[in-house]
Amino acid sequence: MEKERLYKIDEREARRPFTVPEGYFENLTQNIMASLPEQESIYSTNIVVTPWMRIRPYLYAAAAFAGIFFCIKAAVGINSRNNALEIAQEETTIYSDEYIDSFLETAMIDDYTLYYTLVDAN
Amino acid sequence: MAMMAYDERRILEMLHEDDFSRRRAFEAIVKNFSEQLYWQIRHMVLSHDDANDILQNTFIKAWTNLDSFMGYSRISTWLYRIAVNETLTFLNKQKTSIPLETDNDGELSLADQLESDPWFDGDQTERQLQEAIATLPERQRMVFNMKYFNEMKYEEISEILGTSVGALKASFHIAVKKIEEYFDKID
Repeated sequence: MEKERLYKIDEREARRPFTVPEGYFENLTQNIMASLPEQESIYSTNIVVTPWMRIRPYLYAAAAFAGIFFCIKAAVGINSRNNALEIAQEETTIYSDEYIDSFLETAMIDDYTLYYTLVDAN
Repeated sequence: MAMMAYDERRILEMLHEDDFSRRRAFEAIVKNFSEQLYWQIRHMVLSHDDANDILQNTFIKAWTNLDSFMGYSRISTWLYRIAVNETLTFLNKQKTSIPLETDNDGELSLADQLESDPWFDGDQTERQLQEAIATLPERQRMVFNMKYFNEMKYEEISEILGTSVGALKASFHIAVKKIEEYFDKID
């Protein structure tokens, strides 16, 4: 190859002056695969089970049931109060102010007696 | 077992399947890219044995870091990046730089070393070209080899090295000028 041509590298057709041992590329894939380290399987079942791991699911279930129980208890408590309010409202609607006034006029009882009558009733 | 044909989309799926599929997919990757990666490395380190070692390390690194490959780039780009890093690490570890001319201790120059290398079959001018390339900074040398010997497109090189196409073109042309000036000096 004439040296002068290399002064114009852009015009030169590149040639690799390197060689490899015979059969190198033919065996390369096999050699590389053989050199790979054993990879930890993503489907490994070699898991060590501790006592904590054994009881953990039961503890989680117990905690879940306890949580549900307390939620229900709280909800029932609210409903009870609501019902009491509804009952109280019903009772008061049954006895209107006019009825009570007419009762008081015809019952001929004084305020003191009426007060204690109502307290005893409750 | 017959080697499967290279289908990048299918390969990416298989890499996340069972162990058997994963290994088959990686084998297809090795078969498809090992030779071009070898030449990329060889042009930088010159020695066949060193290039072979670095190539093995490249694929071992890729295999052990498969889970971190998310598929955002092409597999070739990912592999080239690993190969570039392994090559630069190797060159940095080489404490002694290869002298370009014989010194007083009689150490062989690069041209002399290549002449005695059984895996180099170039003539004197090609040995001197390798000497000229060896004077370039490492990344510039890498750009020159990728473009000149491996005939890669600037866009591919840009993806691998993370350098803009414009900067790569400038780097390549500066490398060409330096090489031509080197020949002027030794003439």
